[in-house]
Amino acid sequence: MSESAAAPLREPPPATRRYPAFEAPFVRAPERVRTVFLVTTLAASAPLGAGVVFFGWRALVVATICVVSCTVLERFYYRLTRTPALLGRTHAYLTGILLALTLPAFVPWYVAVVASVFAIVIGKAIFGGVGHFLWQPALVGRLAVAVMFPAALNSGAWPLLAQSRIVVGDVQRAAMVEDYSGWRGRPAPEGADAFRVTPPGQMLEKLTRPASWTARGPACSGLMLARQDTPRAGPAALRAPAPDRLPPINDLLYGARPGGLGETCAIAILVAGLYLVYRNYVKWQLPVAFLAAAWGVAATAPVLLQGPSNTVDTVWFPLVAEGLDVGFTYVNYQILSGGVVLAATFFATEMTSRPVTTGGQVIFGLGCGAGAMLLQLYTGVPIPAYMAVLAMNTLTPVIDAAWRPRVFGRRRFAFLWRLVGR
Amino acid sequence: MLFSRYGTFTGGIDLPDEKDRTLSLPIRRAPALSRLRVPLAPCGGTPARPVISPGTRVSAGERIAAAEDASAVDVFAPLAGRVVGLTTAAVAGRYGPAVSAAIELADLAEPELLRPAEETYEWRRADEDSLRARVGEGHLTTYRRGVEPMSSLLARARRKACRTLIANVMEGEPFLTADHRLLVEHGEEVVRGLAILARAMGARRVLLVADRRRTESYRHTVGPARMYGISQVALTHKYPTGADVMLVKVLLRREVPPGGSVLDVGAVCVSAADCFALYRWVACGLRPGWRVVTVSGERADDPGNFCLPFGVTCTDLVPSAEPPVIHGGPMTGLKCSADLVTGPATRGILAVEAAPAPVPGPCIRCAWCRDHCPTRLNVSAMNDAFELSDFREAARLGAMACIECGVCSFICPARLPLTQRMKQLKRAIGTGLASPADRERGKGGAA
Repeated sequence: MSESAAAPLREPPPATRRYPAFEAPFVRAPERVRTVFLVTTLAASAPLGAGVVFFGWRALVVATICVVSCTVLERFYYRLTRTPALLGRTHAYLTGILLALTLPAFVPWYVAVVASVFAIVIGKAIFGGVGHFLWQPALVGRLAVAVMFPAALNSGAWPLLAQSRIVVGDVQRAAMVEDYSGWRGRPAPEGADAFRVTPPGQMLEKLTRPASWTARGPACSGLMLARQDTPRAGPAALRAPAPDRLPPINDLLYGARPGGLGETCAIAILVAGLYLVYRNYVKWQLPVAFLAAAWGVAATAPVLLQGPSNTVDTVWFPLVAEGLDVGFTYVNYQILSGGVVLAATFFATEMTSRPVTTGGQVIFGLGCGAGAMLLQLYTGVPIPAYMAVLAMNTLTPVIDAAWRPRVFGRRRFAFLWRLVGR
Repeated sequence: MLFSRYGTFTGGIDLPDEKDRTLSLPIRRAPALSRLRVPLAPCGGTPARPVISPGTRVSAGERIAAAEDASAVDVFAPLAGRVVGLTTAAVAGRYGPAVSAAIELADLAEPELLRPAEETYEWRRADEDSLRARVGEGHLTTYRRGVEPMSSLLARARRKACRTLIANVMEGEPFLTADHRLLVEHGEEVVRGLAILARAMGARRVLLVADRRRTESYRHTVGPARMYGISQVALTHKYPTGADVMLVKVLLRREVPPGGSVLDVGAVCVSAADCFALYRWVACGLRPGWRVVTVSGERADDPGNFCLPFGVTCTDLVPSAEPPVIHGGPMTGLKCSADLVTGPATRGILAVEAAPAPVPGPCIRCAWCRDHCPTRLNVSAMNDAFELSDFREAARLGAMACIECGVCSFICPARLPLTQRMKQLKRAIGTGLASPADRERGKGGAA
């Protein structure tokens, strides 16, 4: 059979028949799509493990609900529609586990199920399955529940297990603590396993944004002290003594803060990300561009403080405004207090919904990072980093069309030559 | 330093080497053969006209068919034997096995081992024109995919004023060791052949390019190479450094325009087998009709480097192996059909472990094809263009720059036959399924 000479241009639909022509190359690399998804799932279970440590067995329950419902839904949808790209189950596992990473451990079961429905059906299946979606499916699910269950998810104080109750404690048995100033060594409240504390992101909001933006009341509420009255407002609050003080930044680094069950432990996320980079599943340029842009925006973008007599004071360059030591901590606090690290490592790098070229990925990462930090600083959206990733996912086809490296053998600066008509 | 060193290009991969089976085995004589089907059109095109009648006995090197036009070559009997009659056989063409007329020979003499032959022609004193005439009389072909008469290659090179001659002994593909063994055992003759070719071509710069890991084996070529002004270059084994286009990029820093050949940037690439056959004819007067072939692979019973005459049925060389048997290298080769015979382009016959035909999945846009593509093509976008039959878009993205090295298919985790699709896109663009303007744009500089 002379296969290359007579091969028709149209091939049989892939998954239904074995591919007939066996053509060069006759050797293949061992990595397959399955391996890619399974290894990413494995990497994603590192932050999940950290979540189990800080939020107890309920984290595992949420993760199980997400994975099981994603898998079942995908099977069900495949039975209904026979969408061929939904055949493998590995991407459903991956979507489930990524979705669980963004959800807090205390959510009721139906929130996890609804998030899975949106992730699989709206985020993935109606686009045509693996390889065809536009937005990261897990983030679509997370956005849906953030909109649908604001009371459950966007409430003020979230629980966090005490150090003596990690792994085995029940995160639902939480008690409010007044003067929370750090996690390490602090005993559990009476009759409870967990503290109920304000997530650091929300604390920062109160410190760095005019009260009129957050609370719909009189412009100068008690939450926000006028900058002239006390030097502790803004980045300087990090230097202030307890109880106005934020929890130490080390807590954020190893994950002892309230938040989504996978987004808190930056160390676990970075280790998993390094593994993905080592496996070549993630190009380092994308997460680095993401984090660098977020860092840069947090370091330069103005902090809005309540000035005297209801004016808003704009403090540019918070990195240096109160001294480098405080500024540095403040910027890192901004990075670590939300989902930025998780989004940079796992969500922005989702293969299908990011640009293909390295340069495109850098643009994409810069957009994500800057967008995430701007949303976090100046809007009240509950999931700024994830929203920024979703927004940039929308722009992915545009970036791919616009950023095209020069093909081998073509003229350098071809667009300039075209301008002069040659 | 024995060999000077150069840079590299973006993309490419480290392939598994797999050469250990045959790397140190000396070239052996062919196994006992019962019949040969000598193809009459080794270059494709019109077959040569037979000049002997069935039943006659021919000796080795005797002319058995005469070329009809300049794009074909005369055919000589590779071995002494009896002419049975006219039959057909397939040879490896540019786009796959091409069936052509062939002369069947039987009652064959014992194949001989390669021996250093006596020089009968004073090529060192001959001038360019007489060397070119001598090459033309030899009816030599090139020994690489896309076989053409050596004299027509020389004519094209002169027309394009090519001044650089590159002998490509990289052999980047797994399993293949034929050129390596040729250089190890007959290095001096290869170098002399290269010198003859350089003289005939009028080349100013002559390079012998080898794999960096194997330069120790080629020590004895250093002296002769220096004598003839040939610079020796060692390059990394990153695949596809051995592809002509990439070689020219690395050595001359010239990029071949999309859809063009290395001749367009003033270089000619030949293989060790080319040089050796050229030397054997020009200096020693021995007719071409055989080449060194690597028979290897996990399922080959008797791996080795064989000196094989043209016209041996490929599948007979690995009798117990089930199909597919591969003709050429595993990255760019062909699947052997039952009637495929060895020809000038047969570098190897491989019986590799047959993986089940991969089931392609949907592209997940992992971008590995783009990252590893030596010509920086966005192969996944090209795959979209293929699925939509959008040849305009493919031409715009630069499909004609593809060198068909097979890296994208090798690396694709979704097991998509990307290389095959690229080939089909290129042919569709080249044969005018896209509009002429697109074709021009796809080939030309700006776009």
